[in-house]
Amino acid sequence: MPTLKLTRRNFLQGCSSAIAAMAGARLTNVAFAQQDDPTDTLIVVFLRGGWDALNVVPPMDGDDRGFYEKARPDIKISDLLPLSDQFGMHPALAPLHGLYQDGRMAVIHAVGLNYDTRSHFDAQEFIELGTPGSKGTTSGWITRHLQGSGVSSILPALSTSGAPSSLLNFVPTVNLNDPADFSQWDNGLAGSQQAALRQMYNGETLLHRAGLRTLESMSIVSPLVEQEYQPSNGASYNDDELSLQLKTVARMIKLDAGLRVATVDYGGWDTHEYETDGNGGYIADLLGNLASGLSNFYLDLDSGYTDRLSVVVISEFGRRLVQNEDYGTDHGHGSVMFTLGGGVNGGQVYGAWPGLHNDQLYDHADLAITTDYRQVLSELLTRRMGETNISNVFPGFSPTPDLGIFRTI
Amino acid sequence: MALYQSKMNRRDFLKLMGTFAGASAALASCAPEQIPPPAPTQVPPVVVNPTGVPPEPVLPPVSLGIIALNRMGYGPRPGDIEAFNALGATDEERLRNYVAQQLNPDSIDDSEFETRYAAAGFETLHKSLEELYFDHIANNPYNSNDDAYWEWYSLPAYELVDASFLRAVYSKKQLVEVLADFWHNHFNVYFWQDDGVPLLVSYNRDVLRRHMLGNFRQMLEAVATHPSMLYYLNQNNSSDAGPNENFARELFELHTLGAENYFGVQDPNAIQKDANGIAIGYVDNDVYESARAFTGWRVDDDIYEYEDGVEKTGRFLYYKPWHDRFNKLVLGKYIPPDQPDMQDGRDVLDLLANHPGTARFISRKLARRFISDNPPDSVVQTAASVFMEYRDAPDQLKRVVEAILLSPEFKQTWGAKIKRPIEAAISMMRALNTDFTRLPGGIPWMCSMMGQPMFEKRSPDGYADVKEAWANSMSLLYRWNFAVGISENWLDDEDQQRFIRTDIVGQTPAELRTAESLADFWIPRILNRTMSESDRQAVISVMAQDRGPQEELDQDHINWVLPAMVEVILMSPDFQWK
Repeated sequence: MPTLKLTRRNFLQGCSSAIAAMAGARLTNVAFAQQDDPTDTLIVVFLRGGWDALNVVPPMDGDDRGFYEKARPDIKISDLLPLSDQFGMHPALAPLHGLYQDGRMAVIHAVGLNYDTRSHFDAQEFIELGTPGSKGTTSGWITRHLQGSGVSSILPALSTSGAPSSLLNFVPTVNLNDPADFSQWDNGLAGSQQAALRQMYNGETLLHRAGLRTLESMSIVSPLVEQEYQPSNGASYNDDELSLQLKTVARMIKLDAGLRVATVDYGGWDTHEYETDGNGGYIADLLGNLASGLSNFYLDLDSGYTDRLSVVVISEFGRRLVQNEDYGTDHGHGSVMFTLGGGVNGGQVYGAWPGLHNDQLYDHADLAITTDYRQVLSELLTRRMGETNISNVFPGFSPTPDLGIFRTI
Repeated sequence: MALYQSKMNRRDFLKLMGTFAGASAALASCAPEQIPPPAPTQVPPVVVNPTGVPPEPVLPPVSLGIIALNRMGYGPRPGDIEAFNALGATDEERLRNYVAQQLNPDSIDDSEFETRYAAAGFETLHKSLEELYFDHIANNPYNSNDDAYWEWYSLPAYELVDASFLRAVYSKKQLVEVLADFWHNHFNVYFWQDDGVPLLVSYNRDVLRRHMLGNFRQMLEAVATHPSMLYYLNQNNSSDAGPNENFARELFELHTLGAENYFGVQDPNAIQKDANGIAIGYVDNDVYESARAFTGWRVDDDIYEYEDGVEKTGRFLYYKPWHDRFNKLVLGKYIPPDQPDMQDGRDVLDLLANHPGTARFISRKLARRFISDNPPDSVVQTAASVFMEYRDAPDQLKRVVEAILLSPEFKQTWGAKIKRPIEAAISMMRALNTDFTRLPGGIPWMCSMMGQPMFEKRSPDGYADVKEAWANSMSLLYRWNFAVGISENWLDDEDQQRFIRTDIVGQTPAELRTAESLADFWIPRILNRTMSESDRQAVISVMAQDRGPQEELDQDHINWVLPAMVEVILMSPDFQWK
C-alpha cells in the first residue's frame, strides 16, 4: 500500500454529517490469477424452518391424494403443475416448471435427515455438519469437501447469510450480503489503516485468519462495489431476501475468481399457522419468491455458466401430514429437495415413494424418508465436484448405488 | 415462530422509520475526492489447509479488572479500571467486591445514566402492559393505512432498543445489562413477532429484568404467561381441539432442558428414570403432552371476537373452554385430569425448573457467556449444584451467576471469547467516551450490518454466543466500519435530529505532538494495557503517515489523522478479545 498524502484536509469539515456507508471508495484494483476450474460451482439454498414438502410437491393422484386431502381439508393445494403421473408442483412454483420440463431441474422426494428429531436447530445442525446425531465435529460438510479437495482458488467459498455450520471453520469463506456494502469506510486514510491491520491480523487464531480474509475479501469484491449490475438474458431479480442473495452469488460467479461453493439462506418456512389461503397465501408467497429467485438466477447464469452450475435446495425437515387447528402444520420428518443445473438429469422425480397411508408414515404422522439427504449430496460431490473421499465428507455414511440425479462431469 | 404477517412487514417499517433514507443523498453531496488508485494488487489463490481448526489465542495475562469489565459488562469507560482497582488491595479482593456490587445493582449510584435517561424523554417506556396494549394496539388513534399508525404501533419497541443502547453505554449497572441481553436471547422473542410488537417493552422489563437475579421457576412462569411469548410461539391459538406444539417444544429444547437432554422420537417408557421416577431427558411425546397441558394459556385479546369471557386487555388469560381437561404424562410424571385452573401447565414448569438437566443447561449457557465458548465442565457442575441447591430461593439466579463469576475458570480464560457485534459496538462508544442522548438510527443499523440487529433474531434460539458465528468478513468489516463511523462522527441522524459525538482530539493532552507519544497515550487509554511491539509500530505508522515517529506533527495533521489512528486500535485483534 503506498502511503496516502494529506490531500483532503477539508474533507471532515465539509462532510461531518455524511454517513460514509455508501462511500464505497475503491481501495485497490484487483487482478486475479488465472483460475483452473474443473468442477461445478455448487450453490446450497437452505430453507430454514422446515418447508412443507407435502404442499410443495403434493401427490396428484391415487390413494395418496385421498389421504392428503383428508388430512388437509383446509390447506390442500390444487391445480398442480405436473411433474410425473404421481406428483405435481405447487402452482406458485410455475417459473421453475419450464426448467423442470427442459431437464434442468430434478426433484427428490421423501428425502431428508434420517435421524429421530423434530427440532429445527438439531436438524439444521446435523444436516450442515454432515454428522447426524453428533454435534462434536469442528467442521461442516462443505468445509471437509473443500479441505479434502486441495482446492486452490481465490474465492473457494461464499456465504451470503451469516456463518452457516456447513462451512464451520472454513476461514477462506467470503461472507457478504451485497457487494455495494462491502467496502471500508474511509476518511482518506483507509489504505494506511489496512496496512496496519494486515500486520495486526497476521496470526493463526480464528479471529486473525478472519481479519486477514476480510482484507483479502475487500480486494476480491472491489471491482463490484461501484458497478451497476446488469443481469444477463434479461433476468430480473426481485428485492426479496432470497433474490438479493442469489444476485450477489451470480455477480461473484461472474468474477471468474474460482468460486466453488456458495451458501444461501431463506427463512420463514415454519408454518405453524395460516399456511395457505386456497392456492395463495403465506407459503405461496414464499414459494413464489423461491421460484422467481431461482429461475432468474438460472437465466442470468445461462450466459456460459450453467454447464458448471449445480444448485441444491434443502430444508431441515418436512411437516406433519395432518394439518393443525391453526390452518398450519407442525414439525415433521421426510422432505423434498430440488437440484438445478447443467449437469442434472432433470425432468424426473427421484426417490422411492413410501406412501401416505397411516401405516406408511414415520411415527404414524409424517412422510417417511427413503433417501438420505447425504445420498443426493454424495452423488453431486462425486459426479460434479471431483470428490473422491465421501467417507471424509460424511463420516460413517455409505452411499447406495447412485440414483442418477447427476451426469458425470 | 408465527410467521404469517398479515399486517406488516419489516421492510415497510424500516422504510417508515426512515433511519437511513437520506444517507445516500447526504453522502453524494460531500463524497470525498477520489483517492488515486494504488497499484493493482494480485490476490493470491487460497490453497486450502487440510487441517483447518484454528488454534486458540495465546495472550499475555491481563489484570482481573480488564477481565471483569469486559465480561461482566460492555468494556471499560475511562476511569472504570481505576475504580475497580480502588476496590481492594489485591486483584482477588477487588473482583470479589466488584462482583458483590454488580450483583446488588440497587446499591450502585447511577446518576449519570439517570440524568441522560431523563433527558432522552422516552414517551412509552413507563407504560404498563395494559397501557401498551390499550394505547398502541387496541386504540391506536391512526388509520392503519397511514404511516403514522405503524409508527405509533412500533414506537415502544424502538424506544426499547434506544434505551437498551443507552443503558449499555452509560449505566454503571453493567452486569444487569449483560444479563438482560443474555436472558432476552435465552427466552428469545423476535422484535417483529406478530400482533404484539409494542408489548416487548413489558416483556423486557416485567419478565426478564424483573426475574433475572431472582428465581428461575418464577421467571419461567412469567415468560410462559407473557403475551410477547404467547404470540411469538403460537401459544395464543393452542386449544384442546388442536394443541399447537410450538411453544411446548421450545420450552423444552431452548428454555429448560436443552437439546442436550433431548432423546428424539422415542417411546417415553424407554427413557431412564431418576430416583423420583422423573425421566432423565425428554422425547417428542413429552412435548405433545405438555402442549396439551398448556392449552388455554392465551392472551385476553378477543381475536376471534365476541367469545364469552374474553375481552381486550392484552393480559394473560387462562381460558378454560380451550383447556384439555384429561390426564397427561410428562417426563414420567402422571398429571391427573380436571386439575384446578393452570395447574397442568404449572406442573410441567415445576418438572422442568427442578430438573438437573435444566440446571446443567442453564449453567452451561451462562458459563458460555461469561467464561468461554466451550466452558469447562468443572464450572458448569459448580453452577448447576448451586442452581439445584437454591432452586426455591428468591435469589437463585444471583447465586448461580455469582458462582460462575467467582470461579477460578473465570480468571483463567482471558481471550477464550471475542466480543459479539453489539458488544464490540458498545465497547467502542464506552472506550471513546462517546456522547449521545437519543440514539441515531445508524447505530442499530450498523449492528444489523454486523449480523446482530438488537432483538431481531427471528428464530427462537437467540443469537449465537460462539466466535465462529461472528468471525467472518462481513461482520468484521462492519465492526471496523463502526470504529470509523463513531470516531469520525459520521453517524448523526439529521432526519430525526439525533446526534452522536466523539471528541478524540479534545480528549488528547495538547502537549502530545508526535506519532509515538499519541500512540502511547491512546493504546493504554483504550486497552488498559500495552500492545505487542509490532502492533504498536503499526499504530504509530498510521499516525505518522509520511512523517517520522518522533517528528512534531502540526495541528491539521493531528486533527485529520488522530481519529484514524484511534480507529486502528479499535479494529485491532486486541480490542476484540474478552
